[in-house]
Amino acid sequence: MSKKLIGQVMTGLGCAAASFVAIADSDSPLAQGRFAMAGYGDVSYISADGGNDAFASRFIPIFLYQVNDKIHIESELEFGIGEDGETETELEYADLHYYLTDSTVITAGKFLLPFGQFGPNLHPSWINRLPSMPGIYGGHGGNGTMTPLLPLLSDVGVSASQTINLGGESRLFIDAYMVNGPKDDFEDGELHGAEFEPSNSDNNDSKALGGRIAYAWLPRLEVGASFYQGAYDPGGNLDFMATGIDFNYIAGFYTVRGEYIKTEMDKQEVPADPVTQEDRNGWYLQGSWQARQLNIDSLNPVELVLRRSEINKIDGGERWTVGANYWLSPSTALKLAFEDTSLDSGEDDNRIFTQLAFGF
Amino acid sequence: MKKLTLKSFGPLLAAGALFASGSTFAGSNNDGFQPSVARGAALYNQNCGRCHNPRPAEDFSAREWSVIMPHMRAKAHMTRQESLDVEAFLGATLTEEKRGTMDAASSAPASSERGATLVSQFGCIGCHAIKGEGGQMGPSLDQTHASKGAEFIFKKIRDPNFNNTASAMPKFPLNDNDIKSIVKYLETAAQ
Repeated sequence: MSKKLIGQVMTGLGCAAASFVAIADSDSPLAQGRFAMAGYGDVSYISADGGNDAFASRFIPIFLYQVNDKIHIESELEFGIGEDGETETELEYADLHYYLTDSTVITAGKFLLPFGQFGPNLHPSWINRLPSMPGIYGGHGGNGTMTPLLPLLSDVGVSASQTINLGGESRLFIDAYMVNGPKDDFEDGELHGAEFEPSNSDNNDSKALGGRIAYAWLPRLEVGASFYQGAYDPGGNLDFMATGIDFNYIAGFYTVRGEYIKTEMDKQEVPADPVTQEDRNGWYLQGSWQARQLNIDSLNPVELVLRRSEINKIDGGERWTVGANYWLSPSTALKLAFEDTSLDSGEDDNRIFTQLAFGF
Repeated sequence: MKKLTLKSFGPLLAAGALFASGSTFAGSNNDGFQPSVARGAALYNQNCGRCHNPRPAEDFSAREWSVIMPHMRAKAHMTRQESLDVEAFLGATLTEEKRGTMDAASSAPASSERGATLVSQFGCIGCHAIKGEGGQMGPSLDQTHASKGAEFIFKKIRDPNFNNTASAMPKFPLNDNDIKSIVKYLETAAQ
């Protein structure tokens, strides 16, 4: 980090610190707690072409701890069962929030990357309106055959988020972060591209940088633009970059969500080769409709969902998913869905999902 | 590909820190801010439903919500004051450790005036519109009395899930007279 950069950052933080008043917040109208556990889980029955039908189950608790009014710790663990019967554990995130100002939050640790909306906010199974991931996010959770565009939900580093109230229901959300980023996928003496496995190490000194800026007109509309860039080779010369736009429209009985992601990756199999660029892009669009609009009591908990996903260029494919949900409670859904995936190269895939998803 | 480096973000980080320095700092609780149930109800409507079905207040105790809300504040990009308003709304329906009990809030006789007070006190228009004012998470209440009748409204307030298991409407700490007051108010409000 250059002296000039350090100076710029220190100047800003110095100004911030000058107006900081460290007084404990006693304005909360609630009895102050220390610890809470929330989370989600699901039980699925998946019937796929060319494979054996099977049940699958996951349990994902979220542990929340309030150190004081300015410091909050959160962690999410995913427990699943592998094909060999072994229990699989994954640390989805574990981070500390420091509430610097009324509207500024500093986060450090392993955190969900604020890229688009599905990764940071919509992927938990009781929130995801369908039992599968949008095609551009691949098969997180054990299903799907499409190759994701940015196969990374979380990473280790630091981030800052700022909310700007523009008046009325208008808000501007700004997120910026720095994380370890991608590594090289090196095999048989050749570099095959970037590998995305978040860890407490990196193979170069170049950190991945990213951010998102979004405009929200609450509660109806949110439109965001995201970027992510990181070098993945040991020399820090070959970059992976992803850019995306996302939107979320809510209108009483129906919602429409969508994301577009474009990726560019520098490729060089051996050092003597020229650097080429591998481009991919894709999108998904999802609509949901709640039958309570019909005003028939027995249909009030029913919801219909339709999603179209498409990936272009390398590892291209398209996917239609149609589903129906029955909400047993606001955070418990019984989902039934059919998914049809067609790949540019490789076998097509049809699946029927039955899933009980619960948030707790 | 144009390469972004950490250095590229220097001016942005400095500007961000300077911007933050102009904000009100968390913990500065001497700012005279008073959390509002009505504002909290509106913010609950505006923010929770952006990603998921809002959770009824009785899903967690007051102490649990006090830990969950900072988590949701960061996720939803809410400010501290907005988060405290939502806590006020959640707290209005919960006692210390009880979840959605139908406490006897008062023994006052049922009246439309008292209904108007309760509708305001519990922030009903955070989620429902009355005469064009209010949220959209729940249906407008202008025609509810005329179309569904007093008994439906009474049952809905007493047990919000009786006709819809997905309803996020909280169980408010109201007694029968309180609920009758709200029914009377909704009957007159639409006229």
